[in-house]
This record gives sequence, C-alpha cells and structure tokens, in this order.
Amino acid sequence: MEIETPTPVPSEAMAPTITGQTAKISPFLDPGSVTKANSLAILQLSRDNLVPVYLQPPKGKHDGYAEGAVVNTRYGSFPHATMINVPWGSQIRASKVDTGSRGRNNKRKRDAADEASKETETETQEVVTEKEQTPINGNGEVEIKKAVTDSSGFIHVLPPTPEVWTSSLPHRTQVVYTPDYSYVLHRIRARPGSVLIEAGAGSGSFSHASARAVYNGYPVDDSEKKGKVYSFEFHEQRYHKMKQELKDHHLDEIVHLTHRDVYNGGFLVDGKSPEAEAIFLDLPAPWEALPHISRRNPKDPSDKTWVSPLNPKKSAHLCTFSPCIEQVTKTVSAMRRLGWVDIDMVEIANRKYHASRERVGLNLSFDRGVNNSARDVDEAIARLTEIETRFREHAAKSRDSDDEMDSDTEKGPKKGGKKNNKKGAPQNGNGVSDSNEEGAAVSGYGTAPWMEGRLITRGEPEIKTHTSYLVFAILPREWTEEDEAAAAAKYPVIGEQKVIGVVDKAARKKERREQLQKATLGNRKARRKERDAQLGVEGI
Amino acid sequence: MNSVIQPNAWVALKLPSGTTKVIQINPNTTISLGKYGSFPANLVIGRPFHLTFELLDKEPNENFSRLRVVPTDELYADVFAEEAAEGCLTPAAGDAVISATEGEEFSLVDENGNVVARSDCEIIDDNARQTLTQDEIEELKREGNNAGKAIIAKLLLSHTAIDQKTSFSLAKYKLLKTKKYLRRFQVLPIDVATFAQWQLEERDASKIMDMRAEMIGLVGCWGNVHYSGEEYQLLDPKVTTAEGERACVPLEKDQLKGRWLVVDDTCGLLVAAMAERMGVLYPKEEESEDEDDAEIKEEVKQEPKADSAVASEAIEQHGDVDMCEATESAEAATTESVAPKQTPKPVRKHKGGPRPSDFAIPYSQTNTITVLHSQSQPNLSLLNYWNFDITSPNHPPHPLLNHLLNLTWLQLLKPELDTSYSTPPPTATPETLASWKPSRRGNFHRKRRRYARIRHIVDNTRAGNFSGLVCASTMDPISILRHTLPLLAGGAPIALYSPSIEPLAALADCFSVPRRTAWTSGNVPEIEGFSQDELEYWQGNERFPLNPTLLQGVSIQTSRARRWQVLPGRTHPLMTERGGADGYVFTAWRAKPAEGRVEARGKFKRSAPKKAGNAETPAPVLDMELDFGPKRKRSMSPPPVNTKLPMSVKVEEPASPAKKRKAEDDIPEA
Repeated sequence: MEIETPTPVPSEAMAPTITGQTAKISPFLDPGSVTKANSLAILQLSRDNLVPVYLQPPKGKHDGYAEGAVVNTRYGSFPHATMINVPWGSQIRASKVDTGSRGRNNKRKRDAADEASKETETETQEVVTEKEQTPINGNGEVEIKKAVTDSSGFIHVLPPTPEVWTSSLPHRTQVVYTPDYSYVLHRIRARPGSVLIEAGAGSGSFSHASARAVYNGYPVDDSEKKGKVYSFEFHEQRYHKMKQELKDHHLDEIVHLTHRDVYNGGFLVDGKSPEAEAIFLDLPAPWEALPHISRRNPKDPSDKTWVSPLNPKKSAHLCTFSPCIEQVTKTVSAMRRLGWVDIDMVEIANRKYHASRERVGLNLSFDRGVNNSARDVDEAIARLTEIETRFREHAAKSRDSDDEMDSDTEKGPKKGGKKNNKKGAPQNGNGVSDSNEEGAAVSGYGTAPWMEGRLITRGEPEIKTHTSYLVFAILPREWTEEDEAAAAAKYPVIGEQKVIGVVDKAARKKERREQLQKATLGNRKARRKERDAQLGVEGI
Repeated sequence: MNSVIQPNAWVALKLPSGTTKVIQINPNTTISLGKYGSFPANLVIGRPFHLTFELLDKEPNENFSRLRVVPTDELYADVFAEEAAEGCLTPAAGDAVISATEGEEFSLVDENGNVVARSDCEIIDDNARQTLTQDEIEELKREGNNAGKAIIAKLLLSHTAIDQKTSFSLAKYKLLKTKKYLRRFQVLPIDVATFAQWQLEERDASKIMDMRAEMIGLVGCWGNVHYSGEEYQLLDPKVTTAEGERACVPLEKDQLKGRWLVVDDTCGLLVAAMAERMGVLYPKEEESEDEDDAEIKEEVKQEPKADSAVASEAIEQHGDVDMCEATESAEAATTESVAPKQTPKPVRKHKGGPRPSDFAIPYSQTNTITVLHSQSQPNLSLLNYWNFDITSPNHPPHPLLNHLLNLTWLQLLKPELDTSYSTPPPTATPETLASWKPSRRGNFHRKRRRYARIRHIVDNTRAGNFSGLVCASTMDPISILRHTLPLLAGGAPIALYSPSIEPLAALADCFSVPRRTAWTSGNVPEIEGFSQDELEYWQGNERFPLNPTLLQGVSIQTSRARRWQVLPGRTHPLMTERGGADGYVFTAWRAKPAEGRVEARGKFKRSAPKKAGNAETPAPVLDMELDFGPKRKRSMSPPPVNTKLPMSVKVEEPASPAKKRKAEDDIPEA
C-alpha cells in the first residue's frame, strides 16, 4: 500500500471567502456548489466504498504522474485535475494514466519516502513533496498532461458530511457510527448554539457530527458565545492526528480539542468553565470522569473555588457510550449518587436492507442469482408431467420401437409440451418468460430484465448486533433557597381562577358554559366594526 | 430554550405512573394532576426544569398544596439501600434487607428495625393478602399522608404475607404502589424529543406516522440538516401601489443557500425537528447580565405569543392583515426591549421606520425550510406547541415566520394553473387608494402582498439548487422524487422516512444496478436524443419510473432503541415495548451524471498473482493502488486476491441481459 505524501492545505491558496465574516467555512458546513482545490472531497467508488481525498491543484508533475496528483482505484485512475471545479455529485470518468513506467522509475525513491512517512509527521513529508515539485513549480506556468478519458470506469465526488466521513473514516479506535450518534445528538439536545463536551474524541466521527449539530456560525471574537464542542483526547497520537484533521476541515474554531486525561484533569478549559449543556462520554470508565461534571465539588459542596464545567442556568444532558454491561452498572450507580435524574439506558440496533429482485422460475435464464426451480406448484406439475410423458414415450419406444400403440394418448401431452415450451425455455437463455412474450411484442421493447421477478428486501450479510450501551441522564440546574424565594416573590400564589390539566366533569361543564356565554355576548357586527376601525389606522 | 419554566409555555408533566401530560402553564391557574392532586401553577413558574416536585399536604390555613423539591438522594434511597445490602450481604445471612429506616423515607423494616422482607421462593397472590380496604385507603388519602408515602408504607406493612415475599416481588409490589400513590411529578420542556415521545406513546402515533426518536435522528443526520448561515433578506424594492408584477423583487440565485425541501405528512413534527436542527424553532434567548431584567423582558414578550387561543382570536379580528407585518413587528419587538403593554392582542407597530412596501419579501434567503403540500394549506398543526401557527395572518414574532416557506404541488409544477400565482396583483394610484374605504384598502394591500410572497416562494423553489430533501409522506415516494430530484443541488442528500419498507423498496428498485446499467448503455430507445439536462426532468415510464442515474448510494435502513432497566442485580432489557410500524429511512445523494455514454469495464490487471483465488469475497480490493492524499494511512485490507473477478465485462456492448446481470457486482454504482 502506498501512501500519498500529504500536502497540507496552504492557507494562501484558499478559495475566496463567501461571507467575509470568517476565513473559510468548513466544507462540512457549507461545501459550496462546486469542488474546490485544496479542499476535502469524498470519492464514492461503489456504494459503501468511500475515500476521502484532499483535492490538489494541478501544479505540475506529481509523484511521477504527468497529470498531477492521481487517485488510482480498481475502476481506473482519476487525476485530481479532472475532479476540481465540477459540481458536487458529479460522475467522473477514469483517465488514461501511465502508472507503469512511473512505478518502475520511482520505486526506490518512493520506498524511501514511504518509510519516512510512516514514522514521521507531516513536516517530513512536506519536504519530500517540495523536493519533487520545486523544479517544476519554478517556471510558474506549469503544463500538466491533459487527462485522456479511459473506459475503465467512473466514480462520483461527494461533498463531505459527517455521515460519509464516518463511513470513510481511517479507523483509529472504535467508531461511533451514524445510527448511534444521530440518536445521541437528538437525545442530548445538541442544537445550534449548544455547548457540548465530548471526551474520548477517538476517530472523530462524533466530533464532526456534533460540530454540525451545534454550529450556529463561526465566532467573530472570543467574547461571542456560539455553539461549540469541547473535545478531550487522552491518546497523544490520536490527539495530534485529530488536531490536524480539524484544521484541515476548518472545524478548529468550532471544535476545541484538548489533550488530557479527564479522569484526573476534569473538563475545564484554561481553568475556565466551558459552560456545557450536553456531554458525551466515550470513555472506558465514565464513572471516574463523572465527579468532574457536577454543579459543586462532590467531595466538598461548600467549596467555592471549585468550578463546574456546566452551564449554571441550564439542565445538563449527558450520554455515556460503553460496550459492557458492567461499565453501565457502575456508571449508573455513580450517576445516582451524583444527583443525575431520568437515567435511561438503551442500545441501538441498526439494520440495512438491500432491495433486489428475486427471480425464480424454470423459464428464466441461467444467470447468477436466478433460481432455476419451479416458480409455483403449477409450473412444477407441468414440468413433472412433461418428464413423465417423455419417460413413458421413451420406455415405449425402447421396448417396442416398431409397435405403434396407444398413439392417441401419447400425442396429446406431447403437443401440449411443445406448446407450453417447457422444455426449450431453459436453454434459450433469453430470460423472457412465456407470459411476458406477448406483451413484449406489443410494446416493442421486450421485458426489461430488471423488472423480472419479485421485489424483495434482504438484510445486509453481516449486521452489527451490538455497538454500545447508551446511558442517558439529566442534571437539573442548581436551585437554592434564595432562588426559590426570588421565584416565589415574582410569582406569588394569589387567587387561582382556572383549573388546567386534568379536570373533573363539573369543572369542565362550567368552563364550557362560560365559553358559550362569552361567544354569544360578542356581537358579530360589533366585532366587524372594531376590525374596520383598526384597519383604518392600518390600511394607509 | 429557556432555563426556567416560562409563564404560558407548553410543558410536559411527568407523573409517577410514567404518563406524561402536556399542558400550557398559565399563570394564576391551578394545575390538576388528577388523582395525584393539584397545585397552583405559580409554584412551578420561574423554577427550573427536570426537578422532581412533591405535593405537600395542605397547610391548615391554606387551601392549596405547596411543593417541595425532592433531593435525588431521596429519589434513589431504595437503590442505595439495596446496593448497600448487596455489599454487606454474607451467604450465611439469608435475609435480604430492602431498606433501612432513615429520615423521610418509609421503610420496609418495621418499627423495631426488624426486617420485614425475606428472600423466599413462595409465590403469593397480591390482593388476597392486603388487609387495608379501599375505604381505609381513601380515608388515608384525605387526611394528608406525606405525599402518599404514608399510604404506601401502610399498604406494605398491612400486607399479611409481606414476610413471605422475595426481595424481587417486594420491590415490584412497592413500585406498583409507588406509581399509584406517590404524589410526585417532574416538569420537562417541550422540545422535539419530548414532544415526539409523548405524541408517539401517549397520543396519536398515526398522526406522526409512527416516527420514533431514532428515525427523527437518522432523517436529520442523513438529510444533513443543519444551521447554514446568517439570515439574508432581499432588499425592499420600495414600489408604489401603482406598480404591478413587474416591480417584484428578482431572485438572487447566488444568495440561495442552505435550503431544505420537505414533504411533511406528520402534521409538522418533521418540520419542527428540522427547524430545531437549523436553529429556527425556539425564539432567541436574551443574554443579559441582570438575570431578573432579562426574565421580565422575556415575560413581557411571551405574553402575546403564548396563547394559541389568542392567535385564533387574532385571525377573526384582523383577518386581512398579514405576515409581512408580523415579521416586521418581530423585528420591532427585538429591537425594543420594553413592549408597551400586554394586551392579549398581538402587538402591531411600525416604529422601526416606514412600513415595507407590498412587494418586500419577508423571507430569509438562507437557512430555510420549503414545505411542499398536497392540500391548499399545509398541515403543520403540531407547530402550535412551539407557539407557531402557520394559518395566523398576524403572527407574533417567531423565527419560523421568515424561515418556513410553503407551496402546493400545483404551484410548483403548474404555477400557471394556480390562481394566486397567475393573477396579477391589483394596482391603484395613491389618489384612488385614498378614496377607498379602509377595508377595501386593506384588502388591496393584502392581495398585493400575497401575490409577491407566493411569486417569490414559487420562483425561489423552482430555481432549485436545494441543499437536501427530507420527507415523511404518505404519498408514493417515486412520484415525489420525480419532481423534486431536478430541484436538488449536486451531492445533496435525500432522506425519506416511511413507516413501512415496501414503498422504499420500490423506490430503491428504480435505482437498481441493472436498471442503471441499461440506462447508461446507450441502448434505451426512449431516451435517445435527450440531453443530460433534459433527462434530469425525465417524466418516467414503466421501464424507468425515474432517471436511475440521478441518485447515488441508495440505501434503506432502520434503527431501534432497546431500553433496559438498570438496577443492582436486576439489569435486563424491558419486557415489553411499543410495537407497530418499525420505520425505515431511505438515503441517497443526488448525482450529476456525466454527459454521454459512460463505460465501466473495470480495470484489469494483467499480472494478477496466481495464488489465492480461493476467497469469494464480494468486493475485494484487488489491484487498487490508492493515492488517497494525506489523510489516508490505512493499509488497504483484504489481501486475498480473487482471480475469478470478471473484470472484462464490457457494458457498452449491446450485451445480453444475462451478461449485464453478471456485471452487476463488479461495475461501480452507475
């Protein structure tokens, strides 16, 4: 496997901004209408085969390719140049790219580069790229080889979304897949403007999805409070990888990534509270992190110096993601002691279905996926009768070939057999069943093979039966005696007039009576008059 | 969302029995919880959500119940005791202690501290052993009983066979009685998740097409519905009343961004879910240093909008004032923090400068939801719970007002047949106008405004380039896609919800690989001579109900959340859950097919290794040599090489259907 040397997105080469407000909007949040150079695109090779690519501007020979950077797939080679400035979703034809000679010429060199790239970070790789490109870049206008269309296949370029990103993700840890994160974000009320804490950034699938959920514009300056994700990752390599990824995706202003062990370090950012309303914990031991997510220091409630990472004015919604039931038991137990309410544990089972045509019949072609057995009892009986008849015929012949006996009884079924064409059909292989033949002749097209058979749905061959247990809980805001006193003063209990909610029959009747009375009181004419008077003011 | 319970807001009350009541909390009223009692609404207004309140016994000098916030330690006292018992339980001691006497919490130990429950295996009939009669229970309820706890304790203690119950059956018995007698409740805000749950499980599930929370989440994510940019308004053309349709504001197509197309037969739940994701469902919260001040402002603003009865009253009274004004008053209200007075009528004022002209477009050009409906009015009645009423002509401020556009299928497809679109607006010189009666003048303006609005919505929608299509409809999805696919931008996601899989399967079949292959093979007589652009508007026939190349990555999925009970030693999935429709989601992306015939014969590597050929992997990545750019570090997995791959199938040849089908698995999704 060869790894392409990455070219970090140079900031000066960025596409012009659309809203002047910020440097650039993430392609995840607003991909624009066409693909752009230096931006992320997802190449769809087949339905579930998605490949993320940073489109590189055609800057001349790249890695031995005359066409510039090239993506090679089993469907052919696709120079980046053919994929830039096309509408999203475009179908891209493969190009004729000379992969052979390049491989021979550069083999040694590339091996060296590969070795380097495996061990070192992007800086080194950058140098390698520079080395290769500089001589060509030197003369300004660079001619790259024009791509020639090849017939080997095609792909589609899709705009990046958290969903395709998740499907195409380079796995670093267990990934939180779409069925899980879509449900989690819905339940923890992640909405535009929310502040969300995520611990265990992992592969970043949840980070991307939550960034989209809380996004309500890029903050212009630090004082402005916008939807934000505070993400924590303990694993250093993953942290760096993730950091770079966020930068490349222009999400670094929305996702604030911190390298920290949250069990000990807690969730404050620079000593300040992120003021979160939603929390997602994808940690091996959520109960160790939970004490940090409290309203007050759980060990010493009177501790005034302790800062809570939660928004003091809102209920906090929490979700933990743990694969084992023992983890859940411990987590729930810790939640109860820390004052969380509405604790609810669920697991999500997601299934995908394929729609296909089930083709069963004796008269269908011998294609793959076609079941050449009888479609129904009638067909089976017709076939069996035919075989029986032939057998009898044959036996009679062999016993006494000269003897013409019982010719009448034999001829009947024979004719019938021919008429029904039961025997010949399997061999002709045109896949057209008898009953359809006449209709086909009328329409002039023939029955389309894709319309044969019965439409069925079938689950995917392998299903994820268990991803993780999701534990949801809510921590209400703190409510002190003073707060209560203030609220009581503001909304004093004085003469209640009406009953709402569950009311008994008598009260309902009384209400209805009053309503009717009121309705008859209002004279229609008077009302119209009043309306006209208002319009007089209004209408000018 | 507000941090405390607002006066006149819709809230959900969660009762011990597990049921939810959705009510509007009007100040100065009494909220009745049926058998659990009643309390003054003012005792919960201004308090935070999610707290557990308990109805106290009436004070002798008061005629209402006061409330108490139940600390969580008390809520979980049983569980804690159980956990503690589990911890100290030795095999020798056969008795399992359920609870200990402590503070307020009633106990399952008697007065002397003896354990009343034992871990026995005898099974007993509950009702037969209860010595308290119903009359006695009623009597207990009347005389005040410490929020029902006394009753429960008495019930347990007067149960003759309590000592024969196992700890499990005892816990169950207690839970049963708790649900019945404990006078506690919780106030939840009405957001989409809470509301949908209530509507699904306690109200009418068919009204929202059995859409479960999992489905709402999936549809929102796969539809990529999100906030997409600052509001952008078209400039007021400032036309005089003498000018007709020519003076309408032209579309600015470049500004149309972040628009989602919706077909909603869930009475507005889908729209609400999308609006929540786009940040236009809840009114903006005021940020202020002085909390009290902010709250007062909030209160003042809430006053007119909250009451839907008031809104309908407004229709009667000012039937001919319409939405432009409402939005205008919305702006006015946000700029002015102190509303003059709190009449039940919506405040109507034009203080922020001159009134906009009739042809001013109130809608934002970005971050919008366009609803297509089959009746002349959209059914979005559930939005009332978020204080939005689409039928209200003079609507108090609401963010949905200028982010929700709606039009009928007729207006979309045959606008010339729609009267309100095709009838030119009336014109009149200021002099004639001045001579008219006020009501006639009002009508005149209303007609002009409506014309401009409909004209804008229709043209805007027909301009296409939508960022996504989200749909939960009872209509045939094939017919919906036939007309909406051309309106989507390239790469735009679509997410269709259906309670049953069959319509989605039929839709997926329209994009099956053989169909697509045939379409692109160049041997389909009916599409010959059409350009790619014309084929986007392909009207369909029996063989090709839709242009099969317009969607990519077609997939159908379903999700189900299974709920568990988590208790010490008793963790298991719930025994029963809601059945009914499973719900399925169809997802895909809008593709832009390449012009002309597309060939896909596969890339054949001559020097394929001879070994292997054993694995029948469905899609082995064989001779892929990937330049994946910087982010790709994964080694290309399955190394087993399949020599059987029929790579050289030529699709461009007028191959027999047999051959084509063979190629199904090997050509990329066309």
